[in-house]
Amino acid sequence: MANAADAHHDEHDHHMPGFFTRWFCSTNHKDIGTLYIIVSFIAAIVGGAMSWYIRLELAEPGIQYIDDFQFYNVLVTAHGFLMVFFVVMPAMIGGFGNWFVPLMIGAPDMAFPRMNNISFWLLAAGLVLLVLSTIIGDGPGTGWTVYPPLASADFHPGPSVDFGILALHLAGASSILGAINFIVTIFNMRAPGMTIHRMPLFVWAILITAFLLLLALPVLAGALTMLLTDRNFGTAFFIPGEGGDPVLWQHLFWFFGHPEVYIIIIPAFGIISEVVSTFSKKPVFGYLGMAYAMSAIGVVGFVVWAHHMFTIGFTADTRAYFTAATMVIAVPTGVKIFSWLATMWGGSIKFEVPMLYAFGFIFLFVVGGVTGITLANSSADVVFHDTYFVVAHFHYVMAIAAVLAMFSGYFYWVGKMIGRQYPRGLAKLQFWVFFIGVNVTFFPQHFSGFAGMPRRIPDYPAPYEGWNYVSSVGALITAIGTLLFFIVVWRTFSGPKVADNEWGEGATTLEWTIASPAPWHTHEVMPDMTGKAPAE
Amino acid sequence: MASRDTRNRMTATALWVFVAGMVGLSFASVPLYQLFCDVTGYGGQPKTDVAAGPSEISEKTITVRFDSNINPNLPWRFKPVQRQVTVRLGEERLAFYQAKNLSKGDATGTALFNVTPFKAGQYFSKIDCFCFTEQTLTAGQVADMPVQFFVDPEILNDPNTRDLKTITLSYTFYKTEPDEAPSDAPKTAARDDTQLNKPEKG
Repeated sequence: MANAADAHHDEHDHHMPGFFTRWFCSTNHKDIGTLYIIVSFIAAIVGGAMSWYIRLELAEPGIQYIDDFQFYNVLVTAHGFLMVFFVVMPAMIGGFGNWFVPLMIGAPDMAFPRMNNISFWLLAAGLVLLVLSTIIGDGPGTGWTVYPPLASADFHPGPSVDFGILALHLAGASSILGAINFIVTIFNMRAPGMTIHRMPLFVWAILITAFLLLLALPVLAGALTMLLTDRNFGTAFFIPGEGGDPVLWQHLFWFFGHPEVYIIIIPAFGIISEVVSTFSKKPVFGYLGMAYAMSAIGVVGFVVWAHHMFTIGFTADTRAYFTAATMVIAVPTGVKIFSWLATMWGGSIKFEVPMLYAFGFIFLFVVGGVTGITLANSSADVVFHDTYFVVAHFHYVMAIAAVLAMFSGYFYWVGKMIGRQYPRGLAKLQFWVFFIGVNVTFFPQHFSGFAGMPRRIPDYPAPYEGWNYVSSVGALITAIGTLLFFIVVWRTFSGPKVADNEWGEGATTLEWTIASPAPWHTHEVMPDMTGKAPAE
Repeated sequence: MASRDTRNRMTATALWVFVAGMVGLSFASVPLYQLFCDVTGYGGQPKTDVAAGPSEISEKTITVRFDSNINPNLPWRFKPVQRQVTVRLGEERLAFYQAKNLSKGDATGTALFNVTPFKAGQYFSKIDCFCFTEQTLTAGQVADMPVQFFVDPEILNDPNTRDLKTITLSYTFYKTEPDEAPSDAPKTAARDDTQLNKPEKG
């Protein structure tokens, strides 16, 4: 994919570096963005394959394919790690963020191009360590939450969990560096006249995400370091027999973990805002409300973490607080949903593929949001905790919703990135296959979860068979949809050339004012935005 | 351009301070969390800093159940002598657990404890307990281990706890290396020097 992509980038450039210098020592925000997207594709194939293997095992009761239960746990763990840290974050923040934040604010590149390069290669190194962790020893069978005592040296004595911890350390360091780069770029390098309140909403989304990364990831790094020294160097932060407390890990992990789900979904909000506005040929309804709704989600996201751990035995008052605080998040997310609908209202809507994906995103996010309100009730959550209802909820609201937003962004910007038109008919088919596939996969999991089916177990009693079978059929449809996507990507490289602004008058942001594909250097003279309307 | 580079560097430096602050906060949370649990009785931490019982003894009674657990690394048998007792609120009571060393050598353990429901923690006071110190049993030795406690009558004045009829006191014995003797299990021994909230009352 990389090689094919290269050929189209650079017709306008005078001197191009050689292959090694260009791709391994890259300081160009577009090339680094491309590298991130390639890593995301690779990790998505591996992480997706793991989930399909899990669904294959769960298609019927009994043990069919995975008789090593530790291996099952490793699959569940690696699927979570890969999808969160190596698929969604690289694609949306590293990929689209790197590509389009400088283009949208009129900057020639990121503020620290070499730090950008280090960010990417730290992530790549983290991916290598994660792969090593699964093939050395028994693998990390801890779940992506890495709770001790299961993750302690007593129950995972080999080096696997240590490799996993170091993989997350590297991925975290990569994201922190990237976040600093984005914040500095957005604060200091906007085109003249583009005030904070005139930035495109995607730039707003990346700015807020970068702040969340900056506040949440160091806490994860600290907690992981404690776990690492507990396992290897004789400390006892989380070892109850020696005075530690495993529940402290849960607090630290979820103090990071809850903002992490907003780190995943806020860039998706940004992409969807751009797409909905473009294909409704209207500015986004309530631009400032949209921007500050994202900020509010980010802020409130830091004070709701304990809703992930309602079962540890909080007092009624604590549970009441975390229930109420969690439900408050529905207000700014509601502002976003209704503003998207109001943007479409009376607009001249074009059902291009990115817009289809935006509709799909809004539907999935609303379904997941509704079950989120259900789960926010601590009394209900104690019952649903660790059931498939939770699995269905978070896959709807952050996993497949995020993936649909990524697809939306991909089809929206692929013309700008490689200068070619994707095959429209095939891409529409791909949307419908994928959309039906994920819904058939995850909607029945609400029912199995309601009936009490637990997470992270490779077997289940026969009464759960029906919906599990449906869910596995859905996974097969999703797999076909994924295959179709890669065929679409492949065919795009031989598609017709696109215009500089392929979406017409609805596309008002700065990236549509430059050539397609985007030349190697852009905005060498910053555009003057003085007196222009807000980007949306 | 130079001025923008300077500005970029200043912004980045400020952001690094943010990052360092959050790392510091994550480590600071360890002692803060400990302090919070001790002060508020969160997580069912009973009060252990009491010298004697309360002045008044109520007519109301409450049932205290006894639970015992043992970490597989410690080759002991450990059971409460009585399953449950009914005490008047404010009354000091002595209860016993019995432990037996099933191994062929000395073994030392420390018991961790809490009460459920957790909200009862702040009203459950231990005056003296075998869990305040390490316990060493020689091969085959059987020992009765006492705990002296009372339930604070204030429990009736708290709307969250006045409906309680039963409190469960639970212990888990973990293997520890005795302070003076050299260790034979390297991993546990290595951990012995960092004990965050081991009860210090003796």
